[in-house]
Amino acid sequence: MTEQTNKPYLGFGLGLRAEHYQDILERKPKNVDWFEILSENYMIDGGKPLYFLDAIRQDYPMVMHGVSMSLGSTDELDFDYLKKLKALIERVEPHWFSDHLCWTGVDHRNMHDLLPLPYTEEAVNHVADRISRVQDYIGRQMLIENLSSYITYCDDAMPEWEFLSAIADRADCNLLLDVNNIYVSSYNHHYDPIEYLEGVSAARVWQHHLAGHTNDGNLIIDTHDQDIIDPVWALYEETAKRFGAVSTMIERDGNIPELDAVLAELEHARAIAEPWYQD
Amino acid sequence: MTTLRELQLRFQDYLIGESEDIEADIVSTEDALAEHRLGAYYNAYRIRLIDCLAVDYSALQQYLGREAFEYLALDYLRHYPSRHPSVRWFGRHLPEYLRDLYQGEEREFLQELASYEWAQTLVFDAAGSGSLLQLQDMAQVAPEDWPLMTFEFKPAIQWLDLYWNVPPIESAIDNGAAVPAKQRGEFPQRWLLWRRELKTHWRSLEVHEAWALEQAADGASFAAICEGLLEWIDAEQVALVAAGFVKQWVGDQLVISLGKD
Repeated sequence: MTEQTNKPYLGFGLGLRAEHYQDILERKPKNVDWFEILSENYMIDGGKPLYFLDAIRQDYPMVMHGVSMSLGSTDELDFDYLKKLKALIERVEPHWFSDHLCWTGVDHRNMHDLLPLPYTEEAVNHVADRISRVQDYIGRQMLIENLSSYITYCDDAMPEWEFLSAIADRADCNLLLDVNNIYVSSYNHHYDPIEYLEGVSAARVWQHHLAGHTNDGNLIIDTHDQDIIDPVWALYEETAKRFGAVSTMIERDGNIPELDAVLAELEHARAIAEPWYQD
Repeated sequence: MTTLRELQLRFQDYLIGESEDIEADIVSTEDALAEHRLGAYYNAYRIRLIDCLAVDYSALQQYLGREAFEYLALDYLRHYPSRHPSVRWFGRHLPEYLRDLYQGEEREFLQELASYEWAQTLVFDAAGSGSLLQLQDMAQVAPEDWPLMTFEFKPAIQWLDLYWNVPPIESAIDNGAAVPAKQRGEFPQRWLLWRRELKTHWRSLEVHEAWALEQAADGASFAAICEGLLEWIDAEQVALVAAGFVKQWVGDQLVISLGKD
């Protein structure tokens, strides 16, 4: 069922959060295979965050995940930002770096939110060109992540998975497929999430995010402050069936519980996915 | 590219509260109208940035109360929208903004509290220093080399002059302890903040130590510092007092290395 690919596989990881720094250093939990860091939290000059980053990096592989590249913005690419990102990449030596398929502001403003793009040919060309320029500057391939979204535009000319795939193919980048985001957007926009999974190339799916969310009744909001719900676990199992071994991590950004609670969720992910992985 | 750019400008104008034209670009469904869907972004923009300010200015928030702080934060967001890729820098204009918002002594106190909290953030993630000068290193300096000795300080140092007793108030609020009464001095007091082993420390400086530290950080030699201190200290005592300051700075791990004028 799965395509044979040469993509790297890191196992099961966690988003590194300040609340867990001390615990991780003291216990060095063996059931975490790797950590994902939020790049912007470490694009600073020094102090506690960089101290813990360097210390934990000695024990674990890492990947880097950003929120501010604003790949979809019609402002110029921010090369000051990219320069700092490149310096952090040289420091951390991550297996890969990623950002979102979104824009975060125009006219030199930053809304600090992951704003959705219209699914148009114009946007495909615009974003793919910018990803290519980023990859040329950084000197390596990147991953782009699908969003949770609450709106669709009247101008949309294709479903989200076609938009994502077209950009990945044109820019030759890989995908960070957030399973919770697919679930959230499919709920908010009334489509079948399986159709989404069938619309992306297994060879390009290098990483998964898993997270919790908040349902306000009409819309699901991607809050990352709750436990992962059963329908998201079920969708995650469908990804394992289709994409084979994909590095998977749990993203928790609010209402952060003790490390053991997140580790328990990570074990649950492992138990769901690993039976589907072929040797 | 005009179409995508115009769409983004309309969306952003909606988020900052300038126009609702973007609603015509958004699909409504039976369960969620465009207005409701866009509202998720409108609210998230505000909540995220208010929460960011509340972290950087936690004592100010507790002093004002959440409701007043949110009102202030929303108004600040309108006047100083973020233009930096990292939300870390969003709050940097708040002390300046407070100058225009309040009047009289309350304005001065709030502005000093905000300036102090911002200085703490600057100390928190300033560049590290590698190896630091130790007291035993000072013993290696030959007596004849002392006069021309200069000092390189670590980056994780800030100082500011405050009329109000802000640091003990901030510390009490931060620790949930009894908050001391607000007191305003006749003259501003200089406060030093520095990071030592990942923790931020603070203390007040007497006027002559404040002057000596500022001069030393500006590259003045030990002899030049002693000469300037004569304004406050007798000639017989001045070298001893200045050496005491140096010992304190080195002991507090403020000094990276020594140089020569």
